[in-house]
Amino acid sequence: MDPFQNRRWVIILTIFTIGVIFIVRLLYIQVLDDKWSKRSEEITHSEKSLKPSRGLIYDRNGKLLVEASQVYDIYVFPDEIGEVDTNELANFFDLTREEFDTKLNKAIAYASYKPSIFIEGMNKEDYSKIAFQLPSKKGFHEERNTQRGYPEHVAAHVLGYIGIINEKEYLADKASEEPYYKMTDYIGKTGIELVYEKELRGRRGVVSYLKDRLGNEKVDIEQESAVAGHNLYTTLDLDLQKYAESLMHNKIGCVVAIEPATGEILSMVSAPFYDPELFVGRDLGKNYAKIAKEDTLNLKPLINKSIYNDTYRPGSIFKLVQALIGMQEGVITANTPFACNKSLINCHNHPSPTNVSIAIQHSCNPYFYQVYKRLIQRGEDPSVYKDSRIGIEKWAKSVRSFGLGVKLNTDLTGIKSGNIPDANYYDNEFPPNKPYGKYSWAFSTIYSNSIGEGEIGVAPIQMANLAAIIANRGYYYTPHLVRKIGENGQKREEYLEKHYTVVDAKYFEPIVNAMEQVVVNGTARRAQIDSISVCGKTGTVQNATTNDHSVFIAFAPKENPKIAVAVYVEYGTWGGTWAAPIASLVIEKYLNGKLSEKGKKKELRVLNETILTKNQVFK
Amino acid sequence: MDKWFLALYLALVVMGLSTVYASSLGDDIGSLFSWKEDYGKQFYWILISLFMGIMILLMEGTFLKNSSYIIYGVVVFLLVLVLFMPSINGAHSWFKIGSFTIQPAEFAKVACAMAFAKYMSTTGVRIENFKTKLNVFLLLFCPMVLIVLEPDPGTGLVFMSFIFVMYREGLSGNVLLLGFFSLIIGVISVYIASFETVEINNAAIEAITASGEEFNPRDYVELARPDGYFSSNYILAGLVILLGVLGFAVTRIFVLPRYRKNYYPAIIWSSIFAVLFILSINWAYDNVFQNRHRTRFQIQFGLKLDRKDAGYNIYQALSAIGSGEASGKGYLQGTLSNNKFKHVPEQSTDFIFCSWAEERGFVGSLVLICVFVAFLLRAIIIAERQRSVYTRIFAYSIASIMFFHFLINLGMVIGLVPVIGIPLPFFSKGGSAILGFSAMVFILLRLDAERKDVLR
Repeated sequence: MDPFQNRRWVIILTIFTIGVIFIVRLLYIQVLDDKWSKRSEEITHSEKSLKPSRGLIYDRNGKLLVEASQVYDIYVFPDEIGEVDTNELANFFDLTREEFDTKLNKAIAYASYKPSIFIEGMNKEDYSKIAFQLPSKKGFHEERNTQRGYPEHVAAHVLGYIGIINEKEYLADKASEEPYYKMTDYIGKTGIELVYEKELRGRRGVVSYLKDRLGNEKVDIEQESAVAGHNLYTTLDLDLQKYAESLMHNKIGCVVAIEPATGEILSMVSAPFYDPELFVGRDLGKNYAKIAKEDTLNLKPLINKSIYNDTYRPGSIFKLVQALIGMQEGVITANTPFACNKSLINCHNHPSPTNVSIAIQHSCNPYFYQVYKRLIQRGEDPSVYKDSRIGIEKWAKSVRSFGLGVKLNTDLTGIKSGNIPDANYYDNEFPPNKPYGKYSWAFSTIYSNSIGEGEIGVAPIQMANLAAIIANRGYYYTPHLVRKIGENGQKREEYLEKHYTVVDAKYFEPIVNAMEQVVVNGTARRAQIDSISVCGKTGTVQNATTNDHSVFIAFAPKENPKIAVAVYVEYGTWGGTWAAPIASLVIEKYLNGKLSEKGKKKELRVLNETILTKNQVFK
Repeated sequence: MDKWFLALYLALVVMGLSTVYASSLGDDIGSLFSWKEDYGKQFYWILISLFMGIMILLMEGTFLKNSSYIIYGVVVFLLVLVLFMPSINGAHSWFKIGSFTIQPAEFAKVACAMAFAKYMSTTGVRIENFKTKLNVFLLLFCPMVLIVLEPDPGTGLVFMSFIFVMYREGLSGNVLLLGFFSLIIGVISVYIASFETVEINNAAIEAITASGEEFNPRDYVELARPDGYFSSNYILAGLVILLGVLGFAVTRIFVLPRYRKNYYPAIIWSSIFAVLFILSINWAYDNVFQNRHRTRFQIQFGLKLDRKDAGYNIYQALSAIGSGEASGKGYLQGTLSNNKFKHVPEQSTDFIFCSWAEERGFVGSLVLICVFVAFLLRAIIIAERQRSVYTRIFAYSIASIMFFHFLINLGMVIGLVPVIGIPLPFFSKGGSAILGFSAMVFILLRLDAERKDVLR
């Protein structure tokens, strides 16, 4: 008999016990604990976004200003590259060894354990050369993106540019109510691209799918398609914009043209300017630095002076505002005469004005000195100091109704308000280091304001808006750049609202007539156009040591005006010398579509003169 | 012929084939009969196995018994020969004939079972004798070493399973007990050492974070326990000594003086052995093992979650099994462990259970374990009703071999046992394996059919 027979039970029990242990363990993993099934979803499920195409930007006549094309950004994940032949990789990406190392080190410095941008904005042809082999390069992958193209190469300041979202923008978006962006997205950085970012970008779609071990998409679970961004129709007139840029390309200053009846900006030039194509794709950073470096004269080509440079003094064009407010306030009438008394403030030789129109026609300084004096010192208080305070408050309020000294709500960023000084300003802010203080200044301290000098600061867009106000005889629409969002869209509602000045329409007639006379036989005879009655006003902004700035605002035709223009040419001396002919060329081109013989002569003179230095001598 | 055993075998084969099909299916649904696909090959290997089974059933039991040593000799010869074959996947384990490969190690198991049974059933051979132990050791050691040399340590380890048969045939139970307790003590002391290491590292990481520095897990180097660290393993050793003293006292008080000397050596020696064992493991943990080994221990004990490097396989396997939940995703609906998604490594060989558990859920897991346990118990029932010692030992041998596979393979995929590459019988893809395991089953069926005709 087998003496060890009973040992079978030990073995049977062992097998049984192991079976039970396994069943309990599996019960735990598969049923009781959902930890592993959740982890399995992390392994298998993935999502990818479908990028919407960015909206295009057109001019007011439907001509394409900004196009969108597909590009590919290459991202690198430094920890995953592994041991590879660096020279071969550099070759593969068509980079020199140094470029490759710099880019890679930059990525490593950012974070070696997450992806960062390696090559930005690779175009389709370049990408197609590497597309086939890219998946086999460990640690590199591509992201599809939209790149801008600028077929007309104009209006860089207005259109702005797009670029990969930076950390600051990303965090700000994260903190907002509806976070949208990913670290690889493009975003509008300046101009219309920035202001209309939400409308242009569209909405991202999402596909969630099951992936295999290598991350390949295997089975789609759910899909939400992307919605393309809206196309924008701007108020710009492409031909006019191009023409204005050609006139300004060798000068410093601005041209802003507005359609008075709607407030639509027809053209906005800030010179010097740059080709928007420079801010596209992989060379953005390089070109940005290059532009800054080449700017040896410190002309700041990247800045849109027409909205940003609000320290421009308006000069004599401000007399228009003084005259209008003077009449409205009743301190003068249309026929009030003042002697051209050069002991008050210097002037040039002309007959003493017998009414407001003649004063404007001759741009008489002493006349407006006296108008301003009556506005500031009204005799409401025996103390000149207290009286001046009351006067300036009332005056400043009136001037601000012209959109001066206040921030215009134009659809651009970086708009400045300019400066219309009030009592507080002289009490606490001016002069910057040692303000006058309360009751220690009076009209005699601030009289330079009377002729648009002194502490008045106005941005060119505000000057153009002033021209539009006079053209409209007393009201304006906030100047804006987009007239239609989407094919069948509207402009923003705030641009449909009329803003009235404090001055009644009847006071505008003598001023409009005077402006006509300025062109017909006053300081702006260079602005004459044979077939069109142009109304304008020159300004010569005094500089102590350099050439004066040349300023001119105008609108045309006199009745039913179609265009209002402001031109500012730095160091251009008299307002009539450069600003007036440039404005008249812009008007003629816009209204007639072509130039007369006289116009062509004018054009030749403007195109041939380069005004980039401060003390240029003109022949 | 035992119908139950045959039925359970066929059930396992069908379950296995369906799982091989599911787990090696790629993007396209292919035909089971396709030569080019893994599942097609497996299907034809099963047909070959069944054909071989019929051949075996037609043989005489005595012929099989008498050819045991010859088969053993041939297999050992093949194991030597295979070492000179070109390596496939870094191991010299296969003979390559066309697109088929043959793995002699799979036949070594059945050959050893036959030779072992033949030797142990020889008149006068008793496992209690030292000479027998030595011969058995040599008999098993030859193929085992040759297999480890290939290298295929997992399959080599399978030969340890003969210890169960030896126990059944009279090997002292103390050997099993010794092994069992060594295992427990070893696991406890490694666990204590791992736990302490993790604590030290966590404290260090916390200190870095508290100091305001950015913590980058990739730059962090694991700290070992410092020199002179007072490990809880010392306390464990102290407890063992205390237990020994207690045992000594209990013997002294309750056992009659004439029997006491039978107990003393056992108590003293086992206490000394246990203390030395604990202390040497504690020392080896810091001084012999390297960081990567320590990391594996930590992952095994669940003290550390690693889904990238050392813990990748098991993390993916557990995720796949867990994703099956109670009732599974449905046949061919798996999203991790098949050739389409490939999230689980070795999804149709060593980790094939993942595919089954993912698609059939806990219900399927329960069925698989029950069928397997029933199959093993049936083999033991067959063994115990034999008059022939050869048949009994052979039956126990194959039950032990398959139990060992079942224990290690399933234990591995559900994270209870360290990762050791050994297949799950009848499930894992592989022609030699299905052929070898089928041979075991059919030889046993043939021998059992003759149980009334033989006396010993």
